[in-house]
Amino acid sequence: MTTKEIWKAANPKGHLLTAISFLIPIVCGAGFIIAIGMALGGTAQDALVPGKFDFWQSLATMGGKALGLLPVVIACGISGSIAGKPGIAPGFVVGLAANAISAGFIGGMIGGYLSGYIALGIIKNVKVPNWARGLMPTLIVPLLASLSSGLIMIYIIGTPIGAFTDALTSFLRSMSTSSNLIVGALIGGLCILDFGGPINKTCFAFVLTLQAQGVNEPVTALQLVNTATPIGFGFAYFVAKLFRKNIYNNEEIETLKSAVPMGVVNIVEGSIPIVMNDIVRGIIAAVIGGACGGAVTMVYGADATVPFGGFLMLPTMSHPLYGLMALLVNIFVTGVVYAIIKKDVPREVIKETDVEDEDDISLDDIKIQ
Amino acid sequence: MNIVGISACTVGIAHTYIAQEKIEAAAKKAGDTVKIETQGTIGIENPLTEEDIAKADIVLLAVDVQIAGEERFNGKKVVKVPTQTAIKSPNKLIAKLHELAGK
Repeated sequence: MTTKEIWKAANPKGHLLTAISFLIPIVCGAGFIIAIGMALGGTAQDALVPGKFDFWQSLATMGGKALGLLPVVIACGISGSIAGKPGIAPGFVVGLAANAISAGFIGGMIGGYLSGYIALGIIKNVKVPNWARGLMPTLIVPLLASLSSGLIMIYIIGTPIGAFTDALTSFLRSMSTSSNLIVGALIGGLCILDFGGPINKTCFAFVLTLQAQGVNEPVTALQLVNTATPIGFGFAYFVAKLFRKNIYNNEEIETLKSAVPMGVVNIVEGSIPIVMNDIVRGIIAAVIGGACGGAVTMVYGADATVPFGGFLMLPTMSHPLYGLMALLVNIFVTGVVYAIIKKDVPREVIKETDVEDEDDISLDDIKIQ
Repeated sequence: MNIVGISACTVGIAHTYIAQEKIEAAAKKAGDTVKIETQGTIGIENPLTEEDIAKADIVLLAVDVQIAGEERFNGKKVVKVPTQTAIKSPNKLIAKLHELAGK
């Protein structure tokens, strides 16, 4: 098989996205818990000794401990996606090994691929006599896959990964203001391109790694853009009124009523149905607004210590007002741009999508099995 | 033509259901019968029965992630696309399905 065919069969992106779909509820749930805990005065503790902690610390610790195991979750997710159930145990072990050797989130990701492909390889290539068949998924595959990937992680790749992450972190920390502006604009604009889709999620995995290293601004940039964008589209409604335009039909207005509150709690996906009705303009408004918001976040150093929470991320920052500023700038720019470029629409809904408006599908996009 | 399929996006709260709606609308417009199972974060909804699958001429998987129960479609013509394709160009997708199924 050619390299391209091997790459396609291996499907690394599909496995990453599958793993991320398991990761997100944990990040959201635990992220919110730690955000609440920290907003109300708690900090994450190493251990909760009975009688020596208060309620907010318990929340912060609960959330923090869960987030600390994200490398393990992503490893399990990727490994399980590649090898099925037999991949989960090796993923678990290699993820914990990555944590132990300080290889972080990237270590968890690479470890997940490693243990997954090794487990898959063992399943497909190792033949055992009939009496030992039952031992394959219970003992043989987990033992061999965990051991081999774990040892590779600890002795070979773990420390270099950790060193790479450290180098990346130092580089980002030492960036000048103008570089911060570019990075912020890049993160903000790029990550909102697909409104919570694969690009956003892959970007998210990357900035999560940075946050584990203590570089909080990128994940803050990303999440503040996710928060502000739906609100921006809601704001556009009112800005358009100023121009005596009506830019949303009744169905979209209803959608906005849930999309905006969802935006407040960091969920950008609610705005998708609205953007879909006018994709190009929606993306333009979101990307310009996001780039501005992201730039403000990075330049002024809004640094939430939690990876999720929307407005709840503000109290966790060293300067919450900067975060608020980033949000307001984003909302304003997205709203105004969209209001300006969007055409008037009738309030009543017309359902048809024209075939001519659609993108052409190339046969590369379609796989037949 | 009888179309069955599954839609499943990464986050599982939005694109999954939008893809389902778009595919169903486009298929109905082309005069096909269609049933799309969704595998969102909330779990499996509108599950495909064995009968549904047996009657189907073609299977459409509009998925970004691994799905449960892919073995159900062994022996059928299966087309896999990202959810974005189904969302952005549902009508052209259905037309391509007709081409591939030869009907």
